[in-house]
Order: sequence, then structure tokens, then C-alpha cells
Amino acid sequence: MLGQGTLLKTVVMLLLGVLIVAPLLSTVLLTLAPESLGAWRDVLASKLSLNLFYGPLINTMTIGSVTAVGCVLLGGFLAWLVTMTNVPFRRTISLAATLPFMIPSFATALAWTSLFRNERVGGQVGFLFGLGLPVPDWLSWGMIPTIVTLTLHYFSLAFTIIAASLATVNSDLVEAAQLAGARMSKILVGIILPVVTPALVAAGSLCFAGAVSNFATPALLGLPVRMQTLSTRLFGMIEVGQTARGYVIGILLVLVSAALLWFGNRLVAGRRSYATITGKGGRAKRFDLGAARMPIFVLACFILMLATVVPVVVLIASSFAPSSSELFSNWTTHYWSGQSNSAIAQGTPGIIHNEDILSALTITGSLGLLVAFFGLAIGLLAAYTAARYRTSWVSGAITQITNLPLLVPGIAFGAAYITFLGAPIGPFPALYGTFALLVIAGTAYLLPFSVQTGRAVIQQVSGELEESARITGASFLRRMFAIILPLSLRGMVAGGLLIFVKIIRDLSLVVLLFTPTMPVMSVLAYRYASEGFGQFANAITVVLLFVSIAATLLAERLQSKSQPWLKG
Amino acid sequence: MIEIKNLTKSFGTVRAVDEISLSVPTGAFLVLLGPSGCGKTTLLRMLAGLDNPTTGQIIYDGKTVSDGERNWSVDPGKRNSGLVFQSYALWPHMTVRGNIDWPLKVAGMSQSERHRRVDEVMSLLAISKLEARYPNEISGGQQQRVAIARTIAPRPSILLFDEPLSNLDAKLRVEMRAELMRLHRAIGATAVYVTHDQIEAMTMATHVAVLNEGRVEQFGTPAELIENPASTFVAGFVGTPPANLLPISSGNEIRVSGKTFKVKVRSSSGRQAMYRPEAIAVAEQESERSLTMDILEVSPLAGRVMITATDGTVRLTAVVNEVKGLRVADRVHMLLPAVPECVFDADGRRVQ
Repeated sequence: MLGQGTLLKTVVMLLLGVLIVAPLLSTVLLTLAPESLGAWRDVLASKLSLNLFYGPLINTMTIGSVTAVGCVLLGGFLAWLVTMTNVPFRRTISLAATLPFMIPSFATALAWTSLFRNERVGGQVGFLFGLGLPVPDWLSWGMIPTIVTLTLHYFSLAFTIIAASLATVNSDLVEAAQLAGARMSKILVGIILPVVTPALVAAGSLCFAGAVSNFATPALLGLPVRMQTLSTRLFGMIEVGQTARGYVIGILLVLVSAALLWFGNRLVAGRRSYATITGKGGRAKRFDLGAARMPIFVLACFILMLATVVPVVVLIASSFAPSSSELFSNWTTHYWSGQSNSAIAQGTPGIIHNEDILSALTITGSLGLLVAFFGLAIGLLAAYTAARYRTSWVSGAITQITNLPLLVPGIAFGAAYITFLGAPIGPFPALYGTFALLVIAGTAYLLPFSVQTGRAVIQQVSGELEESARITGASFLRRMFAIILPLSLRGMVAGGLLIFVKIIRDLSLVVLLFTPTMPVMSVLAYRYASEGFGQFANAITVVLLFVSIAATLLAERLQSKSQPWLKG
Repeated sequence: MIEIKNLTKSFGTVRAVDEISLSVPTGAFLVLLGPSGCGKTTLLRMLAGLDNPTTGQIIYDGKTVSDGERNWSVDPGKRNSGLVFQSYALWPHMTVRGNIDWPLKVAGMSQSERHRRVDEVMSLLAISKLEARYPNEISGGQQQRVAIARTIAPRPSILLFDEPLSNLDAKLRVEMRAELMRLHRAIGATAVYVTHDQIEAMTMATHVAVLNEGRVEQFGTPAELIENPASTFVAGFVGTPPANLLPISSGNEIRVSGKTFKVKVRSSSGRQAMYRPEAIAVAEQESERSLTMDILEVSPLAGRVMITATDGTVRLTAVVNEVKGLRVADRVHMLLPAVPECVFDADGRRVQ
């Protein structure tokens, strides 16, 4: 008979194998099949390669590196302000700096189009052009807008990482340098920056990975003027049926992200450890910005307005305005509640009467709930197994495999799932175009995050609490329901909410899995935007944006209160 | 020479340091002793120049370095003082040599001079072999030595220590105590040392300031504190073991364990009487001056025995030569001497 441990380990490994390893492996194998081998040559060494791969690669790398540098500078600057200086309204700045990451990445791109779009590709023009300002192409389309909007989105991530790291810099370290007679600039360069270097590198590589795998922004701002990145190229290849070439590009995209993350890790690995012995702390003296205090505050506010308030206001305004060239006049509720009218938007009805959108709303909502549920269940199971059998090789394998999707851009992961489940396997039918495919792919894609949530929950319920229950002879399920669940319910609900938000605002994973019979909100928004119905796209985005922000704030509230018994 | 004049530090309405004045000569080893929250670290941070006093002055060798009235202080790096942090505050991204070298580099010393100084302090603290290691690669005791080396390398005339030994284990703490005293003699700098451990204060200090709620309870040499405690707070805080305090009722009587006996006091304001542990005897038979109590602890102490006993309301500690098989929970008769060592008034001030 199998022991319980063996059963548990087998179940977890099987689940991870099917959900993560199999789709990635089948994609790689597909490109190595004899009839597809030519695709590698086409992509890497043929007349087409410049167009198929090297051109997009250069664009991708440029976008990735400039965005990463911008994010670290911007996020690092704000993190330094709120953790180490006496700038006013630090809490507000801190909250505002995390907001952009709560909204879908395409929201900023859509807002950009509503403001800066010029007449180059036809269709509606943006607000500034409507005011009669000559908006040049470089500001309207392509590289610059893509980099700016990606930076305004991902700097939040850099901010969070760098602020967390700066907060752990023991104030004694800074004071010891002050005692040595070092000036503020010398302390910043000689002590603070080196100590937080790992965080800077981590923030930079994550922003880079995010930017190179982002699909929505380059697709909305670059594709209309034929600026291709690896992710838009991959999307295009699959769309026109050149799947083998598409998969090759996908694999190369994964390698590019993985290489960078690995390089970043190498850079900061080594003998130095940056963990410091904790001292008394809590009495850290803040740098006095002196006369620069207000100017710097105004600058920070200006940046944060651009990243949060401006896009939201523009999106809301544009969902009411008949033309994005006149954002603030002739407002109509047609795009929200109007019946079909052949004079407006080719008869597309407002979103509360639009069957496509309503069914997308239901599908997206159910998708979010199911992915959150399955994600949490698998995440908890995997984290429990990894923690319980810490010394077994299974524990290491679980960590490695569940982190794998982090290296795979959403669009490549979606492509892998088409290969994997798009055709029948043995007795199982093809899942392409079904709701099940969305749920399975979404669950698999967010596993790194779910397992992390599971791990936090398991850690919260310390080993001894569970062990003392084991000594009473309670079974695994009994312990799960009587001890682990009650102790970790709030944490789990919070984790589930965040998974929910991540999947409903995701575009890059679902854009390839989308079929007209199975619409989801984010893809509909993207479709409407690329077909010139900006108002509908913006209205849908506004809905997603508010659901995302509300759910994230609720999750944070739950998380901060998740252990009431610790506060006495 | 360090002079502190009417120094006060307020945080909102709380006075963490309240009108402290004292001065110690060059080369002194001043220990600021007190329980946590008594203001000793706040005082040290003002000495280091990290915080400005609310009122009052700090004067080093005749030169004012902090002035609360003008809300002005000489920069921490320009006061010719060095601070050893409780957390050591070693810069984690620099090697041992790098940590010691950096302050000298900031001070603008030449490469060769720096090299010589770093070598010198490393050998003084016996850490030369660790020079290429990072702080996370050495033990707590070694980190402590590096922190001290880093502080003394620029040769400050005033050395400040913030509970430097509190993160070390007991044996290492005794070793480092001796090491610090040796260094202090070798360097000749004036030292200010913050601790809540009265044994450290008694063994290391030339001068002790006992702090309580932001005020100096008593300032003197270790011997003076033991011989003539100025208050019940000091009497109950210093000495190993600390002295016993018994309440005096009206009519100059002590009423404990159902016994009442007169105390010979000159002043009528006496409210507490102090008896030294070594002045209390343990008797086998009950007598007029004995208190019947149950033993709480028996522990050997340098060839003698320390006994703590209680009647449920007061505790008495005695140090005697032998106990003849007495054990915890046994009944004993604690014999008080006829005259208390000293007497304190209702405010805890000494009156006799």
C-alpha cells in the first residue's frame, strides 16, 4: 500500500506536470518535429529573419531596457522619498505609487491613444490633435509612447520592491556613516545604494521581463505603425496560421526573459549578504530636504498624477464623449446604456445592452472565481507538500516547476496551451474555444503566485500548531478543516482576490485563447480599440479598472487584518 | 573632559532626558546606568550629535558642541567622537577592512596612512585574519570587534558605546568587558558607556550616572553608589545582590511577618530602611528580632551562599557562610541587625 506521503507527492507532481511542464514541453517538441524544423531556419537565418525576429528583437530589447531603467529611476526616487526623507504626505504618495499596478496595463495605453492619437492611421483622433495641436508621429505612435506607458505602469513594481528594501536599511548604518563625517550625497552613494543594490537589480529585471513580454501596449501603440515586438510578432504568426514560426519566436522570447533574470541573479549573488543585524530602529532620522521639500513634493505629485489620475480621468471622459478629439463636450451615455443606433459606432449598442459584453462579463467573472478557487486549492496543496517534505527532492522540484511560468510571457504561455489542449489527446476532446481551456490555462499561468500565497498561509499556521493536531491523531483532511482553514481564512481570501484581479485584467494570456463564442472583457476591449471603437474599449476598461482597484484594496485590508489574534 | 549642562530632550510632552548636568574628566570611563526607557540612549545620541537637545549644552574640552537653546549642534562627523552601536551597524556590502577603512577615507586620509591605521587597529583587536571577510561571514563577537575597530581607527577623543555587549553570550560578554577596559587604557580617550547591566557598570566605570525617568538619580564612583546610595532606586538597582528595603511604619516601627520592632532613626521622616544582604543572618531558632519566612532560592556565590526568602509580602536576601541543608520551601528565621544601614524618606531620598 502507498503511504500517504507518497500519494500526496504523486498527486502534486502529476498536477504540476500536466499544468505546467506538459504544455511547455509539447510546444518545444512541436518545433523540433521534422516538418517544423524549417521554422527555426526561417526565424533565425533566412531572408525573413530580419523582419520576423531580429527587428522585433531589437525593438523588444530597447523597450525592455529603457523601461527597466526608467522604472528603477522613477520607482527608486519615489521609494527614497517616502522611506528616507521628510517629504510631506508620505502615506498618500506611497498609496498612489502602488495604484498603477492595480489597473490593467492596457488602460494607460488606451488613455494615451485618447490623448495623443494623430491622423496618421485614420479613425478617431486624440484630444490634443482635436485641440489643433500638431501631434508628431513619434509622440503618437511607436517606441516613445510604448516606453512611456510601460514605464508609467511598471514603475509601481519597482517602487514596491525598492521601498521594501530601503525600509529594511537599518538606520544605524546611516548614522554610523554620519558619525564618520560623510555628507548626505556620500552616504547615498557609498552606503544606501550598495546596500539596496540587490533590490535595484531585482526591480530592474522584473520590470524588464514585464516590459518585454507585455502584449497590449505595443499592440495598441506600435502595431498600427508596424512596430513589432517579439510578443506582437508571436501573436501575428499564430493569428495567420504560421504556428511553427510563432512557437519558435515564443521559445526565443522565453529564452530572452530567462537569460536576463538569470543574469540579474548572478550579478547580486555571491558572498555578500545584505541582511543586517536588527538594531533598535524605529527612530530613524529622515533626510531633511530643506528648501527643496515643496518643489520635490510637487514633482512627485505631478508624476503620480500622470500615472494614475490622468489615465483614469481620460478613460472615463472618453467613454462618454462621442469623439476622443473632444473629450469634455457633448457627453452622452450612449456607450454605456444606449440602444443600438445605426448612426453611432455602426450600430453597436451601449455596454449594458451589448450581448457580447454582457456575456464577456459573466465569463470573465466566472473565470476569475474559478481560477482563484483552483489556484488556491493547488497552491495550498503544493505549498503544504513542499513544506511538509522539506528534505525530499519533491520539495525542490515543486518550487522550481511552479516558478517556471514566471519566465514565460503570457502570450507564449497561451500559445503553448493551444498546442497542448487545442487538439484531442486520447479520449479527451480538443478544448480550443471552451471555457475549460481558459480556466486551466489561467490556473496554470498564475500558479507561481498561488503557490506563493499558499506558502504564506502555511507559514502563518506554524508547523507546531499542525503537529500538535497530528499528535491527537486527526487525519489530514480533518486537520485541514479544523486547524489550517480557520487559521488562514482571511489570508486565503485575500490571496484569492489578488488571483482574481490578475486573471480578469490579463490580456496577454487570453488573447490567443479567445474565440468569439467565449469572449472575455480584456480581449473585447482590445478588439474594440483596434477596430476604432475607442469608447467601448475605454468603458470596458473603466469597469475592469474599478473592479481591480476595489478587489486589490479589499485584499490589502484583509491581509493587514489577517491575524487579529496577534495584535492582542 | 565632557560637561553636560541642564540637558533636556522632549518628545512631545514626554521628557526623555530631564535637566541632566554632570561632568567627567579626560580619560574617564562614564557609565550611564538605568532600566530601559530611562533616557540613557537618548542622552548618548545627543552626545554623538545624532539628536539635538531641546535645552541645555554639551561641552567637549571647553568647546560647546551642542546647544539646545540655539537648536544647534556640531555635525556628528566633526565632534571628534565615535559611537559603537548596539546593532554594530557594520556596512554589509563592505569587507572587514572596508568597514574600518571607509570612515578614514571620508576623513580624507592618504592611502598609506589609512593602510597603517587599519592594520594597527585590526591587530589591536586581533581581527587581522578576518580582513577580507564580509560581516555576515563572521561571528557576533567578531562583528563586535570590527565595530569597535571601526570606531577607534579615526582616533576620536570621545568614545561612545550603546549597550555594546547586550547581543553577546555570557562568557563572551565577560571577555569583551576586559578587552574594552584594556582598550580604554591603551587609547586614553574619554568613554561614555550605556548599559542596563549594573555588573558592567560596577566593573568598568570610573564614574557612574544612575538614570531614572530622565533624571540623574545619583552620580559617583561605583564604590560610592554601593556605600552611600542616595535613593531607594539606587539601593535596589546596584550591588550583587542588591540591598534589602523594608517599609517603616509610623512610630519608627517595622512590622513584618506579624513581628513589630523599633528602628533607631534620628529623623522622623524615614519610611524605608535598608539592610545589606551580608548583614542579615539566618537563625535556626525564632527570636525577638527574627522574621519567619519561606525560602525561595538558594544559590552558591563565591564560596558563600545567597538565600532569598519571603513571607508573601516582602522578600529578603541574605548572604551567609553556610546553610546546613536548607532547601527551597523550608522555613527559616531571618535575623535583622539592630541598626539599618540607612533610611530613606517617602520620596525615596536618603535621610540618614
